[in-house]
Amino acid sequence: MYRYDTLDHTLVAERVAQFRDQTQRFLAGQLSEDEFKPLRLRNGLYIQTHAPMLRVAVPYGLLSTRQVRMLAHLARKYDRGYGHFTTRQNIQYNWPKLEEVPDMLADLATVEMHAIQTSGNCIRNTTADHFAGIAPDEIDDPRPYCEIIRQWSTLHPEFNYLPRKFKIAVTGSPADRAASQVHDIGLHLRRGPDGQTGFEVLVGGGLGRTPIIGKVIRDFLPREHLLSYLEAVLRVYNRAGRRDNIYKARIKILVKAMGEEAFRAAVEQEWALIRDTALLLDPTEIDRMRKYFRPLPYEKLPDIDVTVGREAAFVAWYRHNTRAHKVSGYRAVMVSLKTPGIAPGDMTAEQMDGLADLADLISSGEVRSTHDQNLVLGDVRQQDLYETWQRLTALGLATANIGTLADMICCPGLDFCSLANASSISIAHQITERFSDIDYLYDLGPLEIKMSGCMNACGHHHVGHIGILGVDKHGEEWYQITIGGSASGDSSLGDVIGPSVAKLEVANTLAMLLDVYVSIREEDETFLQVVRRVGVTPFRERVYAPSR
Amino acid sequence: MRQVVKHRQCQADAWSMPDEAAAAAGVVVSLADYLAVQAGTLASPAPAGAALGVQLEPADDEAQLLPFAAQLQLVVVNFPKTAEGRGYTQGRMLRERYGYRGELRAAGAVLLDQVFLLARCGFDAFAMAPGENLTLAAAELDRFSVAYQTAVGTVVQPHRRGQVG
Repeated sequence: MYRYDTLDHTLVAERVAQFRDQTQRFLAGQLSEDEFKPLRLRNGLYIQTHAPMLRVAVPYGLLSTRQVRMLAHLARKYDRGYGHFTTRQNIQYNWPKLEEVPDMLADLATVEMHAIQTSGNCIRNTTADHFAGIAPDEIDDPRPYCEIIRQWSTLHPEFNYLPRKFKIAVTGSPADRAASQVHDIGLHLRRGPDGQTGFEVLVGGGLGRTPIIGKVIRDFLPREHLLSYLEAVLRVYNRAGRRDNIYKARIKILVKAMGEEAFRAAVEQEWALIRDTALLLDPTEIDRMRKYFRPLPYEKLPDIDVTVGREAAFVAWYRHNTRAHKVSGYRAVMVSLKTPGIAPGDMTAEQMDGLADLADLISSGEVRSTHDQNLVLGDVRQQDLYETWQRLTALGLATANIGTLADMICCPGLDFCSLANASSISIAHQITERFSDIDYLYDLGPLEIKMSGCMNACGHHHVGHIGILGVDKHGEEWYQITIGGSASGDSSLGDVIGPSVAKLEVANTLAMLLDVYVSIREEDETFLQVVRRVGVTPFRERVYAPSR
Repeated sequence: MRQVVKHRQCQADAWSMPDEAAAAAGVVVSLADYLAVQAGTLASPAPAGAALGVQLEPADDEAQLLPFAAQLQLVVVNFPKTAEGRGYTQGRMLRERYGYRGELRAAGAVLLDQVFLLARCGFDAFAMAPGENLTLAAAELDRFSVAYQTAVGTVVQPHRRGQVG
């Protein structure tokens, strides 16, 4: 993985000093709440319902075990012993003290981490496929380009006061595991006509109040032009994006207002002026970055059937929680952070330490975070899978539910977030209690439930096979349900099934939707395929039947 | 008299702004007025011997100043709100694209913590928001000793990394 050099260390140390100074000025009354807000946000610090919340950047979801141990240390020393992994591969702490945040940042800096631009109207943490570098279907590893983007976007002088937040996701595979089509910019690695590496560029995807799938504005961008093209897009947006209404300030609204063609023309015009400047990426620089992400020295191992003679619980875990690896004899292991009764994405300090030890022992000394709030051990020898399962089970991280209904994405909701209308975590608990029969979940097949406590859509509800959105009706929590969304290669936005349902009715409503699915599915059809085949109507008729 | 940070020093401002009585040394007018004066359709409000400067608002297109880049001595970029970000682009374009070499001043709701970024966009003068300490503002120019990006005053090449300043 990428390792800081003197420049990175200096920059982060100077940023910590800057934030310490800003915090002291605020605590001394020299900065007002309003003046401090944009400054603390640019360092990932929110003021939440109970306490400040600090969001720490996990660039493109990649962590060394040393970093994981530091995250555990922060949880113990400054928080209540746990952290919360987010839908953008970052980790949040919900209970730090404001005056201690500079110390947390200084601790993070010792392991080459920071919280820069994890919030605020600037370029956020760049996310990527959590199987980057190990996916069998990968065209090229997106991480060197993510690191190039991370550096370019960090404290970018021109783009730190954008109309609104700005999120970039990069994938190297045809299968989109980074929800790149619902990002402000989605970059898809492609091979060009002569075999050169480049990107398909999507712009203007997003969720929130106005969910939109990103539009392809360039079929192929040669890789050396990555930064000049990004700079052109950002410059057009910084100038022309709306600043009068925060609900219309994302780039997706600008693309819609200008029209795709006019937007593309504006970007191309700007790009023509800067493409051959110092922004042009030197091939030696790209090679230097690629060296940080070189494949491991894998052993030559055959693929083996590890399930022979093993107990059913292991076999179920193997089927649901491991994934193919590009190198024979290896698997990628999904570490489930969706234990029933625990908020999705939450992890205790003990689990972090235990997982770090396991990753050192049995995998590559790296841990990856996923956009669906789980973790990954990327390089596990198949012969070690049984032991991995045993150790993960002991840590409470082996719930065999990846990809099932129980593998929900969920924002912190009303329990923590000051923006939320409704609780998400209690609904997650209601659903996991109602659907506790794991065999039923397996029978339902792949099913993504995504839940947001408000329109900001941190839980990506629009692209859930089943989406749940908390709404406020006269001070009561209600839930709007959508079906048919997807964030994979064939992205789509879900359709609302009808009027929102009461809090206690959410799991019952899901049960009805699933009954309809089970009764009309053909052979191996998934829930999403059935919704796409028959539409919303049969589901709506069942949920809102007059007899109820 | 108004104090500004210019070339890292606190100094008295010799110019008058668009809503002020004309100063003897130099008068800043809106972009529309500046262009009208240049086109000969408006009499210059500057007293004889005084220079004429221009103030850009966030929606103004700084490209219109291209024909006058060599003769202008002061371009003020107004930041009506701290969150206003268009001025950063206006500054960079004036410096990098239109070859402007005169004083480039950020004015309005400019707070200490923006000074460093503004300087990297080409600003060399700062009329700070009321209440901001100008000595501290000047010190902010040294907040970071390194940068990742090419910007005004920093070419990061070939390894895209460089020292600021």
